[in-house]
Amino acid sequence: MAKILIVDDSATIRKMVRASLRPLEDAEFVEAGNGLEAIEQIALGPVALIILDLNMPDMHGVDVLKFVRRHHGCRDVPVIVLTTRGDEASRETAMTAGATQYLTKPFVPHVLLSSARDLLPAVARRDA
Amino acid sequence: MTGATATTGLGSYILFSVSGTTYALPTAEVRHMEMIEDITRVPNAPSFVDGVVFSRGQVVPVVNLRARFGFDRVPHDLRTRLIVVQAESRVVGLLVDAAREFVSIPADAVQPPHEALAGMSGRYVEGVASIGDRLILILNLQRILNFADPLPADPAA
Amino acid sequence: MSQEGAPLDEISFSDFLDDYYAECDEHLMGARRLLLALETSIGRGPVNRSVLDELFRHFHSLKGISGMVELRAAEQLAHHLEDYLRVLRAGEAEPTRDGLDALFAGTQTLEQVIAARRAQMPLPPIDAIGSRIAQLIAMDAAPGVAQPPLADAASRAPLGARRWHISFSPSQELMARGIRVDTIRQRLAGAGEILSAAPRVTADGAIAFDFVFTGRVDAATIAAWQGDGVQIEPAEGTGGIAPGAVSDPLPLDTDSPVSPAILAPSHVVRVDLTRLDDLMRNVGDLVISRARLGETLGRVERRLAPAEWRSIQENVLALDLQVRTLREGIMRVRLVPVGEIFRRMPFVVRDLAGETGKRVRLELKGQATEVDKFLIERMMDPVLHLVRNAVSHGIETADERIAAGKRPEGTIVLSAVSAGDVVRIEIADDGRGVDATAVVARARAGGLPVPAGSPDAATLLSLICAPGFSTRELSDRASGRGVGLSVVKSAVDELSGAMYLESEPGVGTTFILDLPVTLAITDALIARAGGDTFAVPQGSVREVIEVATAAMLQVERNEMIAYRGGALPIVRLSQLFQTGEAARDRLHVFVVGTGSGALGIAVDRIIGQREIVVRTITDPLVRVAGIAGATDLGDGHVVLILDPAVLARQMRDRPSRTYTAGGLGR
Repeated sequence: MAKILIVDDSATIRKMVRASLRPLEDAEFVEAGNGLEAIEQIALGPVALIILDLNMPDMHGVDVLKFVRRHHGCRDVPVIVLTTRGDEASRETAMTAGATQYLTKPFVPHVLLSSARDLLPAVARRDA
Repeated sequence: MTGATATTGLGSYILFSVSGTTYALPTAEVRHMEMIEDITRVPNAPSFVDGVVFSRGQVVPVVNLRARFGFDRVPHDLRTRLIVVQAESRVVGLLVDAAREFVSIPADAVQPPHEALAGMSGRYVEGVASIGDRLILILNLQRILNFADPLPADPAA
Repeated sequence: MSQEGAPLDEISFSDFLDDYYAECDEHLMGARRLLLALETSIGRGPVNRSVLDELFRHFHSLKGISGMVELRAAEQLAHHLEDYLRVLRAGEAEPTRDGLDALFAGTQTLEQVIAARRAQMPLPPIDAIGSRIAQLIAMDAAPGVAQPPLADAASRAPLGARRWHISFSPSQELMARGIRVDTIRQRLAGAGEILSAAPRVTADGAIAFDFVFTGRVDAATIAAWQGDGVQIEPAEGTGGIAPGAVSDPLPLDTDSPVSPAILAPSHVVRVDLTRLDDLMRNVGDLVISRARLGETLGRVERRLAPAEWRSIQENVLALDLQVRTLREGIMRVRLVPVGEIFRRMPFVVRDLAGETGKRVRLELKGQATEVDKFLIERMMDPVLHLVRNAVSHGIETADERIAAGKRPEGTIVLSAVSAGDVVRIEIADDGRGVDATAVVARARAGGLPVPAGSPDAATLLSLICAPGFSTRELSDRASGRGVGLSVVKSAVDELSGAMYLESEPGVGTTFILDLPVTLAITDALIARAGGDTFAVPQGSVREVIEVATAAMLQVERNEMIAYRGGALPIVRLSQLFQTGEAARDRLHVFVVGTGSGALGIAVDRIIGQREIVVRTITDPLVRVAGIAGATDLGDGHVVLILDPAVLARQMRDRPSRTYTAGGLGR
């Protein structure tokens, strides 16, 4: 089972991400509403993919990303960051900090799904 | 607050009598009923308004339906009731001779008022229903409460 | 690209609308709360940065989720609001009154857009508010303007408060018990203030969270929380963060929107006015029950032993005090500083002065004077009207003023003073004063009755306030100027207030509005007239006198008495209301109004003074001029509250009219 961590402060968006990724087989989803919760999830077990919103209160997504990249066995975990349309600066920072891929919000569900599939080789190989 | 629509299904009404005739109002428009004690007169109010009373903490005007329909007033007795109704944001009391029961009237039993029903209460009736051998006049609350409606010259004025 | 089934776009859209609406509600509520907090803090020192941060967040989130569900109007509007907040946060501008108003308006429009979508109704337009905000952004973002510093949230931590280092180590077992980092965070937020929160990797590779916190922590709490994976240590004592070596604590980016402190709860609560009305009604019921209790007890007093009676009295007195305190407390909740009315005035004056080419300075006094919120709402437009009137008609042009030996800049003073139950609002200008001749001419031309001789201030006022009176052409009237002041008079009358005029040609004009401070409970004189009982609010009564019917003089159709060196016209309430009359030797008379506008309203007897709860009469069927409301004196019977000012005016205007009561005829 691949654990996919969805991090966004909006419950609506977390739901939408989850729905977009539902076709992924053998995937289980955990959600976090802020950076601390996201890191807590990582602490509790290995994660196969992180969908990470950047603009969050209390702890910016970039800081979560930095923590994940510098300090834990999650160094190589693929991370798709969700950035705001037009916020070039955050996108730059995120990519520099180690994001695997970025998508701008509002995201198109099937694009998110394909990106996720591509980044989860083990899972993707199971279908088609 | 709208009454039961006459076009669909079964409407729930409350029946009451004024000067021997049975009238009905949709229950959705009726808040409650009570016995009336003393009414405080309000100077310069329209002639069919007996005055005001307190009803559940609110100052409520008392519309005497006998007067409104052009009948003579009679002294109150034990059967006299105040039917407190609600029309949009207005809360008003209707003074009637007696309040009777609740009935359900199927929409297809309601006819538009006959031409012959003119006369005073005619202008306030929006439908007529027959239940067994009883004739029930369904009232239009808005028209009763709208005092811009011209009245016959009131002999008491 | 891999294959997939039907595109999810349509499906995601509508499935999530409920979540979307729920989330919007949260953000909108949060935004409103914060805007209110911002409003109360304007002009009182540096603005709290975390308020701006949180507001920014709300609009940012609203923008994001609105974009996801493709509600473009909401997305755009939220975007504007977010942009403005960004400008404010960057410290480039202090929120101005205008800016705050725009934020309120924008938030409200955003709410409306979302609600409209929810109800599947056409969306309200957003262009106007959108460009208004865009303008503000353009203005406020201009560089080079000296700005006051924004307060740092952390500096708000109370001095001398104990600081603690809290660390939490999550685990599967704790998670299974429902204890997560968020649980800890909420506990801390409830017990004090979190100053910072950060993750850390411990020496053995585990993850822990460190909080710096100020608040109440006692030994029992420390022990209890230890079982939940929480270590608490005082900050001063250890000089470092608790167990586990610190490896490279993550520095928080200063320009990322990290607000380490949970926002201190705003001190402002927004209350629906209808809830306040309900509360007031409840308190009113309490006052009445107390009165009824008093009457009942009065009847049983003689059956009790003195000692028993005394102890009942003590309880009743205590109850009295408590009810009174509660009543005053509730009243105070409804009380709002009159500055609410005043705050728009500087802009109105500035605009109108500009349009008319005059120089006008506005002075505001007594803005903190408190009045009932309903009064504020009712008087907002009338006061605005008077201020506009002062600028248009009172203040002369700079040239005229100089020619008259005045300073070129005119002054308007808007003031509010409270004295007991009454608040006096004055609008005073140092302009040209009321031109009595022009007023009289205009009144005559308009067919208004004008008494002979030179009119006094009260007469001038009643002419000016007559409906249809205007000193300007119709075209001016369309623009809102020169419209008679009748709207002001009727508002004042409706509130059972009084209006006066003081004016001196060439010197200036002052309009005086006396209004009751609170509307709901008031002192009243209780009177009987022809078998009916009435209540007269004490605030509107200048004086009460006793008059011998024999001393009353008949002058044409009016009755009069000698009064204070002049004559006072008298009207009998029993005649006014057709209540029937028994011959009496003496009558009690309420004197209302002043000067030549004074009138005496005669009743059979004043039977006492009571504190009454004013119940409004709202239904048009029984809303008659001269009746201000209704009350209950303890027996459930409705007692009408008179509006003497209105009665007086009616009597003065139409002395020959007889009043008929509703048809029962006694």
